[in-house]
Amino acid sequence: MGFFSAAMRIASKDLKVEFKRAYEILSILTFSVSSILICSFAWGGAITTSPEVTSSALWIILFFASVLTFTTSFTRETDRGTLGGLKTLPCSSLSILFGKTLYATVLLLLVECVLLPFSFVFLNLKIPARFLDFLLVFLLGVIDLSIAGSLVSGLVMFSEGKTLLLSFLLFPVCVPVLIPSVLATTKIINSATPVDVMSELRLLLAFLLSVVAVANLTFKFVLEE
Amino acid sequence: MANQKDEGDKTITVAVEILNVSKKFGYIWALKPFSIKIDEGESVALLGPNGAGKSTLMKILATHVLPSSGIVKIYGLNVFKDGENARKRIGFVAHESFLYDELSVEENLRFYGRFFSVDQDVFREIIEFLNLKSWRKVPVKQLSYGLRKRADIARALIHNPDLILLDEFFAGLDEETRNFLVDYFKTLQGKTLLMSSHSAEWAKQLCKRSLFLDRGNLVQDIFFG
Repeated sequence: MGFFSAAMRIASKDLKVEFKRAYEILSILTFSVSSILICSFAWGGAITTSPEVTSSALWIILFFASVLTFTTSFTRETDRGTLGGLKTLPCSSLSILFGKTLYATVLLLLVECVLLPFSFVFLNLKIPARFLDFLLVFLLGVIDLSIAGSLVSGLVMFSEGKTLLLSFLLFPVCVPVLIPSVLATTKIINSATPVDVMSELRLLLAFLLSVVAVANLTFKFVLEE
Repeated sequence: MANQKDEGDKTITVAVEILNVSKKFGYIWALKPFSIKIDEGESVALLGPNGAGKSTLMKILATHVLPSSGIVKIYGLNVFKDGENARKRIGFVAHESFLYDELSVEENLRFYGRFFSVDQDVFREIIEFLNLKSWRKVPVKQLSYGLRKRADIARALIHNPDLILLDEFFAGLDEETRNFLVDYFKTLQGKTLLMSSHSAEWAKQLCKRSLFLDRGNLVQDIFFG
């Protein structure tokens, strides 16, 4: 079986399991909506909220939602003993990681689908003139968060305090994603052109390639108990 | 071929070849270096007390754990260089289930089976053969321990593997289920079987040869009867 089809099958299995126990995805969505509402209350109608503050809030909420997502990634497989089942499959360990990355990407995009409309309504975020660029930054940021988070989730899955360790490690690992994402989102809300955010997009792409390279070299050993 | 030997006028394929394999966890030897060969079609029991290294050896053979030294070949395939192809020939039933609780028996089997390009008919056959037809749509979390074990065996055998690894297979099963599964394994012709157990009595029902491990040492290699 090919690399991508194996990854797709693992991701679709994870999504099927996730939607059959809908309370976890619902708790992530509830967290995101509640956060937007709290920000809205705190900023008193948010008519004067600056793009810097709005974009920061969006990425903070997305980051914490991703922490919740990654706690159900590899750690659930180890807690339930199903990781052994994945190891019996005739596919590379990297395709297992990519399956988990795809799964996290879909979940985080789902969070975004709820987060953005609520931000337009409750944070008075105006639909940016370059809306596709705005979505592109979010898509790239989410993919970066997903692969880095899945890798960290894999790294900590055999440790005792894995949930705590995941939260501690995820922030420093994701700083190179969060800084350019927040900057690029702010610029696009301020009607910047794609050329203006090119440096941030390059950083996001470079981070993606670096994590793929690290995963390619190390993930085979990560899966071993 | 490297994995074949001549015995009189017939050629016997070596199914499992373990050459100077050892495993150390930190400073503790789980397995001290030893070598054995198991021929195709042989049924071998791996006996020994707790902590003897049975499960470690099983996990090494199933490609789940890398040994500290030595080479393992399954039907001539070096499991650590060609793990993906070796796994196509291995069916592994561990003492924990590799099935996903939220998915039904059929969904679990389809997930695992698709990686091995299993035909539609095979799903039906194995479900019927293991008496799981009435439970095929039931989520695994609702099954009794014995039924779950049967479903896990179906998962391990769905791709018709040549080498079947059963780790502490009889633990926790009632008499009726044990007898059913022993009879089932007796019907499998030409398969190489390696099972670990505490009980020599149950092992004798299925196996003709036994390897006795004690504190990581292979201390006995005998043929029953």
